[in-house]
Amino acid sequence: MTIKIRDVVNNDATLISRRAWSDDHIYELEKKGIFAKTWLFLGHESQVRKPGDFVQAFMCETPIILSRGEDNEVHAMVNSCTHRGLPVCRSDKGNTKRFICPYHNWSYKIDGELAVIPQEKTMKCKSDKSQLGLKKVPRVESWRGLIFGCFDEYVEPLEDHLGNMKFYLGAFLDRFPNGIEFVGSPQRWVIDANWKVPMENQLGDVNHGPYLHAAVVPQEAADEINEFGYSVVPGKGHGATFRLMPEDAPVDNVAWGMETITGILGGEEVQNYLREIQASAEERVGPVRARMKGLAYGVYPNLSFLWSNAGFKVSHPRGPGKVEYWSWSIVPADAPEHLKKVLRNNHASFFGPGGILEQEDSEAWMQQYLGSKIDFADDRPYYYGLGLGLEKPHPDLPGMVDNTANEHYARAFYLRWRDALLAVEDEA
Amino acid sequence: MNNYNSAVTPELQLSIEQFYYREARLLDGRQYQTWLGLVDPAISYSMPGRGNPMVNNREHGNEAMISVERELEGLDSDGLPIRDEGFLVLSLRVERSFKMNAWAETPPARTRRIVGNIEITDVTGEQFFVLSNFHLFYARPGVPDSFYAGQRRDVLVRDGDHYKILKREIVMDMANANVPTLGLFL
Repeated sequence: MTIKIRDVVNNDATLISRRAWSDDHIYELEKKGIFAKTWLFLGHESQVRKPGDFVQAFMCETPIILSRGEDNEVHAMVNSCTHRGLPVCRSDKGNTKRFICPYHNWSYKIDGELAVIPQEKTMKCKSDKSQLGLKKVPRVESWRGLIFGCFDEYVEPLEDHLGNMKFYLGAFLDRFPNGIEFVGSPQRWVIDANWKVPMENQLGDVNHGPYLHAAVVPQEAADEINEFGYSVVPGKGHGATFRLMPEDAPVDNVAWGMETITGILGGEEVQNYLREIQASAEERVGPVRARMKGLAYGVYPNLSFLWSNAGFKVSHPRGPGKVEYWSWSIVPADAPEHLKKVLRNNHASFFGPGGILEQEDSEAWMQQYLGSKIDFADDRPYYYGLGLGLEKPHPDLPGMVDNTANEHYARAFYLRWRDALLAVEDEA
Repeated sequence: MNNYNSAVTPELQLSIEQFYYREARLLDGRQYQTWLGLVDPAISYSMPGRGNPMVNNREHGNEAMISVERELEGLDSDGLPIRDEGFLVLSLRVERSFKMNAWAETPPARTRRIVGNIEITDVTGEQFFVLSNFHLFYARPGVPDSFYAGQRRDVLVRDGDHYKILKREIVMDMANANVPTLGLFL
């Protein structure tokens, strides 16, 4: 019997059925109710600087080309030929004038318009090429260089979708005089897990750190989070966690990057650069956000951001039990080139497929999926009730705020998730 | 191009092969602390990222067009290496392996590697430039078995009767990282 969404998440999202992470029907509803209708992260403007530049992306399982057109605008289109469906682009990134389908050499312009049907040369009747371009992603918008796309042309503006999350993202992105840039290709890690679990992990699940990662994370780091840590639910299913350091905290205890292996081992020049950024941060982000020392963020539905180990991550679903988890390393855009080569290792040293820390997470995510598809345990839904109702408004921090043990971030995510699935459940 | 470097004597080839066999045995035997003794404190240990770049039309007909090198995002590139580590990070990984809560290896992975195609490409003074390939089988209860294949590009330095690893670049052959971790000692 098909499972009903009202039986999957209870009214305050304190109890969630194991099937939420393992059921094929629910996965199909996620495609219809979430991935077809919500802003999804595509890439960063630093990846497509010049006309002709492109990178690959995904919207759920659908392959996307993100490009900069001759008109200097950013375009996003489905990487599938209108003639027979083959991908017209096989490279991760590059610069080109045309995307050409290998099968019959239909060729498309950088903005997705169909340029040439070679077979037409020998035929009298011509097809209407204006109707045969690559399927465009109807809405593409960016904020602070972060580019998102949405398949629903009537979706709310991107900035409304981000809402209060802009305050927290801006605390990082605006911290640097010229923002950030993405480095190299994303690391693509295929994990036998449901896409929502990596997402939850960054959305606000700080509290697994001192336990799952006890082999690597020192006690002092956990103590600092206990003393200064906040978990914020800014609304719309997003989440932000960070430490708000005291006003008299030394620069080295607040500055971005000082606490990572890269900051610790990077040498005097790297450390001085990080101190300079912090010393002038208040001018750019104001006094409260200058004291922020972020942990991890989540942007509904599947974008995450790691502050210290500077990375953006997207959890691309590949069915209920598989995820293609992409990680990009980021660096300050105006850092000297030789320092970028040091700072780029912030992410990969601890996270991504080779990271010393995230191998523990990927193990937990794989085991969570196994636990979510076992039989005879449907009367033991997962408990998400920690800290229920303890979150409160805060004078300086938009959204609902509590310490990092409160699971309100997950309840807010799954309540939005439930509404999105309820809205499409009864469609034939 | 010389097929044989005259500095590569059968005795040298044999002693370097023996070094790699011993190293493989230590790693598969989970003797990581002993293995760390084969690592020079100044080591550069890296794993390039590997992408699918566009083919350059002007290179068509040349081997350069589809060279492995152009797919790699290594230490010298502007791209993103998967690993970029020194002795301290390797020590941290070794230390982690012997803690009760290294959950990704609890119970520990069973690995078995075959190291082959050991080719000494250059000898300068006490430094030996060595290429080798590996196939590694990886099994752990509760997850599917994995298979790793790649090439190691090493610089060894003589250390008395033995060698130490001064530089190691590991080129992985997988398209996507469909494995539990690339954080192994490879």
